[in-house]
Amino acid sequence: MLTKLQAKVFFLGGTAVFFGIFLVLTIDTHLKVPFQTNAKDITSAVIAGKRIWESNNCMGCHTLFGEGAYYAPELTKVVENRGKDWLKVFIKNPAAMFPGQRKMVHYNFTDEQIDHVIAFLEWCGRVDLNGFPAEPPLRDALQAMGTPTGVVASNGPTPLQKPVPAVFTTGTCIGCHQIQGQGGAAGALIGAPPLDDVFRRKTRDQIIEWISDPAKVKPDTKMPKLVGIAITDAQVIEIADWLVSLNPETAAPTAAPAPAAQPK
Amino acid sequence: MKFQSQKIAYWFFAAAMLLLVLQVVYGFIMGFARIGMDGLHGWIPFNTARAVHTNLLVVWLLLGFMGSAYFIIPEEADRELMWPKLAWVQLISFLVVGVIAIVGYHFNYWEGRKFLEIPRPLDYLVVINVLAFLANIGLTIWNGKRYTTTAIVLYFGLLAAALLYLPGMIDFDNQTLDSFYRWWVVHLWVEGVWELIMGALLCYLLIKLTGVDREVVEKWLYIIVGLTFLSGILGTGHHYYYIGAPRYWLMIGGIFSALEPLAFLGMAIYALSMAKKGGRRHPNKAALNWTLGSAIMSFVGAGFLGFAHTLPQVNMYTHGTLVTAMHGHMAFWGAYAMINLAMIAYVLPILTGRKLWDNAASSYAFWLSNIGMVAMTGAFAVAGITQVNLERRMGLDFLAVQKEIEIHFVGLILAACLFFLGICLYIYNFWRHGLPTDEAAQSDVRAAEDLPTVS
Ligand code: HEC
Ligand code: HEC
Ligand code: HEM
Ligand code: HEM
Ligand SMILES: [Fe+2]
Repeated sequence: MLTKLQAKVFFLGGTAVFFGIFLVLTIDTHLKVPFQTNAKDITSAVIAGKRIWESNNCMGCHTLFGEGAYYAPELTKVVENRGKDWLKVFIKNPAAMFPGQRKMVHYNFTDEQIDHVIAFLEWCGRVDLNGFPAEPPLRDALQAMGTPTGVVASNGPTPLQKPVPAVFTTGTCIGCHQIQGQGGAAGALIGAPPLDDVFRRKTRDQIIEWISDPAKVKPDTKMPKLVGIAITDAQVIEIADWLVSLNPETAAPTAAPAPAAQPK
Repeated sequence: MKFQSQKIAYWFFAAAMLLLVLQVVYGFIMGFARIGMDGLHGWIPFNTARAVHTNLLVVWLLLGFMGSAYFIIPEEADRELMWPKLAWVQLISFLVVGVIAIVGYHFNYWEGRKFLEIPRPLDYLVVINVLAFLANIGLTIWNGKRYTTTAIVLYFGLLAAALLYLPGMIDFDNQTLDSFYRWWVVHLWVEGVWELIMGALLCYLLIKLTGVDREVVEKWLYIIVGLTFLSGILGTGHHYYYIGAPRYWLMIGGIFSALEPLAFLGMAIYALSMAKKGGRRHPNKAALNWTLGSAIMSFVGAGFLGFAHTLPQVNMYTHGTLVTAMHGHMAFWGAYAMINLAMIAYVLPILTGRKLWDNAASSYAFWLSNIGMVAMTGAFAVAGITQVNLERRMGLDFLAVQKEIEIHFVGLILAACLFFLGICLYIYNFWRHGLPTDEAAQSDVRAAEDLPTVS
């Protein structure tokens, strides 16, 4: 059996060897991290955003790179998933975007500070994390089984293809809804349907009524009231007009003003 | 107790008990917030509650370690503490820094890095404080009549813990590097040098409680801490999988962290076999329960539950979910909370001369807190596994999944009540011991231990 001295040598020797290896790997990591994290893109805005992130302890509720607390969503890919415009509106007043949900702190950031936070999160989203967060392996299987993730498919005319007006981006809709194949990555999961075919379910007036105050139509809805936060009353009309204009059946008269205007 | 200056340990322990209660109170605040009862959000938002909860944990454990060192070192070195007054200054200033930090967290004053939330200026004060502590016990050992392995391992554990605090204070603009060095503190503490401290305390308790020959106990101590560093240093890699560090960490971290449970397994086998071998059955059953309990629960919480999510293939999905919280609770409890409670259970009768070690309160304290903690771990486990499956594997929305698992937090709170009852009983027993007395200080250790039990 080992003597006490041998045991001591095992301890000291093992520690020295493995700590040595650890130091070498640390140096190597230092040399590689700048490339893996696109360190050249760490602008002053990103640094300022990181300081805001730290001085408010956002990590005390959220995870970033999977590190932090488990009370609020993982934020590594949030810019990609939600879009910058959505984030700008959200951070100004978190409770307005998720009424009745678990609470985030309401910070009184300036627009510049919000830009910094977003720049930081955007940089984080592009770091090569060796595959994290993984694509959910069972998502496709579930969808193939026809399990709806909140989106109810409906039959009807195929919506038209058109460029998406800016209001859908600035108004944050695209953060939750898929429109013309864009956006909606995270919103589909809380049951925000793609908006292209909304004309099959709602008339122009119903759309206006809905957007103006979703909770009035459906009290337990997860869609926030965005009028006054991200869009104006006039934009509600603009949105509704555009959404119904995607209906190929009614589109011809309204959607083709240009040819109609040509005198024969 | 042989030396007057050992009495200071009592006050470190008393402060630790107070902070433990506060820690649990903030744990309840978070538990209730998670079932929608977040009425305190305006004053104590979740991030405040969490920072207070985890920092109090670390502070009370450190106070426990320091108190234990102030008790053990004079005895092992066979002389009075170098500067008993400095120990008092150190205790009070440590508490003051802690209180400022914790009050600060309620006013958004912090550094915002998990477990290292203490703002920078206070970091420096902590460093000075710990230096004073290390100087005090270091010089006591240096000027002592004998050097024992237990004392040396304990000292180097504490010294290394202090040194490893420093990398956590370097500032980086790159989040990945920031996180890289945060783990030098967090991981190399709990899965490295704190294990040295735990090993030394365990060793001391086993020598005292089982009467097995010091040479044998200390030989195994070296082997166990050898295993700890052999696996634990490169095992740090299990935190480098997905933070933007090179891919080779998946392999290195995976292999070496998978070996980490060996050290904990070694610790459990070591404690149990020494207890079995020990000829002298010490009357302080409570201390022996906590000692063996710590060796076993740390294997379950750190070794077994740590292993459960340490392989990169698994960690890809469990990383940053409640599965981590499940492991964190039982690991900290088993390894570090219980070893401190074991030290306290052993030391108090000696300091106060009252042998309250064989009564209903002390055994209920042990069983209720442990059953409560196992149940809490179960609640976190069910919540965590459900979260992993629904959110990470099926791709459902975070908040929707949280709604689904809310019910498990009702379970968590119920389990926590049981746990807290155990803690209250422990503290009640602590209080019944009264203050350290000079008569106890004069009587020899062995003589004190042979006295008949009173309750
Ligand atoms: C008290 C806990 C808490 C703190 C502190 C906190 N958040 Fe949040 N955050 C939440 C919760 C909860 C949500 C989920 C949406 C909701 O209910 O408001 C959220 C959502 C978000 C989202 C949207 C995520 C998504 O996918 O929809 C972003 C972005 C965000 N927070 C950024 C931050 C930043 C930046 C900070 C620090 C300045 C911060 N949060 C601090 C709790 C918190
Ligand atoms: C925070 C996420 C979110 C944002 C931002 C959001 N929505 Fe929604 N929206 C939803 C959800 C969720 C539903 C489904 C609501 C339900 O059925 O309860 C919905 C439903 C709708 C519907 C009805 C769809 C149908 O098929 O019946 C319309 C129309 C709509 N949203 C338009 C908009 C517009 C326009 C905007 C931008 C101004 C917008 N939404 C922004 C989440 C959002
Ligand atoms: C007493 C010893 C231990 C304690 C106190 C402990 C505690 C913790 C804590 C608090 C965390 C969360 C840290 C953070 O996110 O900041 C954590 C994470 C982790 N621990 Fe331990 N641990 C111990 C031992 C172990 C062992 C032996 C293993 C492996 C076999 C292990 C594996 C892990 C892993 C893989 C994570 C990362 C989880 C994630 O990706 O979110 N731990 N541990
Ligand atoms: C008894 C009541 C307790 C309750 C209700 C409780 C609850 C909680 C909650 C809700 C969290 C936050 C998890 C999240 O981010 O969502 C947490 C974190 C934590 N608690 Fe407790 N806790 C209690 C006691 C304890 C005890 C006794 C210990 C240590 C021995 C402990 C150690 C920790 C640790 C280490 C973390 C951080 C975990 C991580 O980051 O993975 N808690 N606790
Ligand atoms: Fe670790």
